[in-house]
Amino acid sequence: MAARLSGKVIQNINSTFVGGGVAEILSRMVPLLGQLGVDARWNVIKGSDEFFQVTKKFHNALHGRQERIGPKDFTLFLDTTQKNIGEIELYGDIIFVHDPQPSGLITRKKELGKKWVWRCHIDVSHPNEEVWNFLQPFVVQYDAAVFSAPGFSHELPIRQFLISPSIDPLTDKNRELPQATIDSVLEKYGIPKDKPIITQVSRFDYLKDPVGVIQAFELVRRSIDCRLIFAGGTATDDPESDKVLPGVRERAANSPDIHILLIPPGSDIEINALQRASTIIVQKSLGEGFGLTVSEALWKAKPVVASAVGGIPLQVKNKFTGLLSHGVPGTAYALRQLLTNPEYARWLGENGREHIRYNFLITRHLRDYLLLFLSLDHPGDVIYL
Amino acid sequence: MIHWLTDNWLKIAMPVLAFLTCFVVGLWVRRVVERAFERWRARTRWEGSHLIVKTTRRPFLYWFLLLGALIAIEVSALPPISALAPKAESIGVNIIGSLFVLSLGWLVIILGEQLLRLYLPKVKATQSTTALVVNAIRVIIIVVGVLMVLQIWGVPTSPILILIAVLVLAAAVALRDAAPNLFAGFQLGATQQIKVGDYIKLETGEEGHVTEISWNNTHIRVLDESTVIVPNSRLLQRTVINYGHPLKKAKEPFHFYSRTHLTELTGLKAKNLREFVDILKKVPDTVIYHHTHHFLEQHHYLTPEPSNDFAVWVSDALGDEVLSEGLASVDTFAFSDLEALRERLVGIIEEHLSKRGNFREVMPGREFHFAKSVSVILPTPYVAHDLREFIEALRKISLSSLYFHIFESRLRLGKGLNDFSIWIKDSLGETELGEEIARLDPYTYTLEGLRSALIQVIEKRIK
Repeated sequence: MAARLSGKVIQNINSTFVGGGVAEILSRMVPLLGQLGVDARWNVIKGSDEFFQVTKKFHNALHGRQERIGPKDFTLFLDTTQKNIGEIELYGDIIFVHDPQPSGLITRKKELGKKWVWRCHIDVSHPNEEVWNFLQPFVVQYDAAVFSAPGFSHELPIRQFLISPSIDPLTDKNRELPQATIDSVLEKYGIPKDKPIITQVSRFDYLKDPVGVIQAFELVRRSIDCRLIFAGGTATDDPESDKVLPGVRERAANSPDIHILLIPPGSDIEINALQRASTIIVQKSLGEGFGLTVSEALWKAKPVVASAVGGIPLQVKNKFTGLLSHGVPGTAYALRQLLTNPEYARWLGENGREHIRYNFLITRHLRDYLLLFLSLDHPGDVIYL
Repeated sequence: MIHWLTDNWLKIAMPVLAFLTCFVVGLWVRRVVERAFERWRARTRWEGSHLIVKTTRRPFLYWFLLLGALIAIEVSALPPISALAPKAESIGVNIIGSLFVLSLGWLVIILGEQLLRLYLPKVKATQSTTALVVNAIRVIIIVVGVLMVLQIWGVPTSPILILIAVLVLAAAVALRDAAPNLFAGFQLGATQQIKVGDYIKLETGEEGHVTEISWNNTHIRVLDESTVIVPNSRLLQRTVINYGHPLKKAKEPFHFYSRTHLTELTGLKAKNLREFVDILKKVPDTVIYHHTHHFLEQHHYLTPEPSNDFAVWVSDALGDEVLSEGLASVDTFAFSDLEALRERLVGIIEEHLSKRGNFREVMPGREFHFAKSVSVILPTPYVAHDLREFIEALRKISLSSLYFHIFESRLRLGKGLNDFSIWIKDSLGETELGEEIARLDPYTYTLEGLRSALIQVIEKRIK
């Protein structure tokens, strides 16, 4: 398949090289495409702190969260887009734009031609209408859009494809670790191994519902002695963590069994170790693009309790590969179920690992991207290569 | 001149007489020897004897002619015509000697070749081995003959002999690895452990039909139609499974394809059963195919596998277990086209709505999203010409390839029957086996289970 793309340049464009799922996937995907002989490259747009505050608000609003967005925000978005249109070189045969931040670059399509694909990593199933209506005129100019879950699609006049993100099993974040490494990370953060550990790994932002996680943990703690780890980092295009983290720390201040860990960027082995040291992984998000941390946990054969939002139901097939929940009490109930039934938890974990192996590893993702690029030249439902 | 002839008629007559006498004696001796040989052949019934008679008959006479010429020169007392005459006598003797050596060599080559061609097949030597031995003997005799001729003419042969010895030594060193293969080739031929046409499998994984056994290598045509060349000695030193003679060849080989797919979203969604069934009626066939089949690949590791997407949604999102059971129990295998399958699904839902009603709406986010598959079909290197090759390819192909030939071809590409059954019936003429495979309900197996079941059925037929 890769040979059929020979001679074409795939230009990926997003808003950051570091932090978050998109940058993480691109940092693996671009070299892998290169190894297959596909000329894939990666550029980022530039923007001020104010611009990224606006796009963060867009991000939350597209996830369905209430945000105060005014005309100034839209103007700033358009101004920054214009600046980037002037600065960024658009050289690809296929221009693969990731997320809303660079979506306005499509205005150069009339002038340049080429194939344009918009890759939406966000749960836009119930978006803020104002923001969606603002972005939609950009989206419909693309040749195709790609979403991470079926529920994210809309009735659009362009082709829409379902491509779930993926994890790379060979990276520091996902590879097997010796027990000594796991123990040393626990020791570093002062976490004893005396009780079952429940862990959520995610950025400190409202959509990850860190307070909800603590509430569910407190409900569980009434009957079962256990610990909670909330481990998260930050990204350059995410200014929200500075606001959320202090609130979470304050909420957890009275419990020695709650460990709030701010993990610096690049500490993948530490995240890996914390996930592997955990008895259960929780992902109680209010909105989720896809939830790669769930894939990471399932790949480590951990039992998972996660909210039925975004792309999580694709990964957690309720009662087959994990348990889905819809609120704080439901999350607490599911956690208790797993803590008291370790055999069932183990069975879910093993199924979860197989589910990831067949459907959410980077090899599948790579294949889907190749198919996507090929399908841009083949409008039919059956393509013979 | 007349004067010279008159003076020397006796000196001329003597050599001529000697030559003619030798010729006559030669004819007589040949007759006597032939008779003696006939008696010996009748007694021993040796099948090579007629070859000896046939081959030596003419040279025998020539040798007597050469003998006659030699005696004639020796008895000739003619006075020299010129100063070169003494040398001419010596040259004549040398020519006669050379002709004798060459004819003798030629005889040995012809006779040896015919005897080898008679006897090597009896020790099951391959054609190429026979040719190799014949050529080797031919070269040796020619070299010996040339050396003898040179010796006759007084050319020193020692340096040539040394050169030949060096060349032989160098060849021996260069071919030291080939020797075991040569002997292994003899052994393979003699024991008939492996023959051209056999289907063999080496412990290192290579397998296929033997197409040629040469003096040093065996050629195997493997499943991707490339040729693997295995040194003969390796065939004797390692474990080799020989499945035996080739099976019936298909009219057309079976080319295995694989399939991968990309899910394309339609943007259509339903939040209750009425919306659901209305959309179901109008979506393209490929949507029906996607939602009744994609779980087969996605969840093939789970036993039991989750049912089709429609049944799962009706159960999980609408909580209607009765309808879910109805949809899950639709026997997809009973349908040979997607339109009929759609009608059945729509019929079940319509009937349920008219009898029980269910106008519940799902929670936001639990809507049914209609999607379809974009299939990309790719060739694989695997090709089968008979059932043995077919089984071995079946063991190796990916599950996607198996899925394509069994599910996608039958229903999505509208063939009404799986590719394997079509090929086995039409190209191999194995109608019964083709129908037996067509009767296997693939929806009741995991993909790995289906692979095993197919292999089992075909192996039973081969045995």
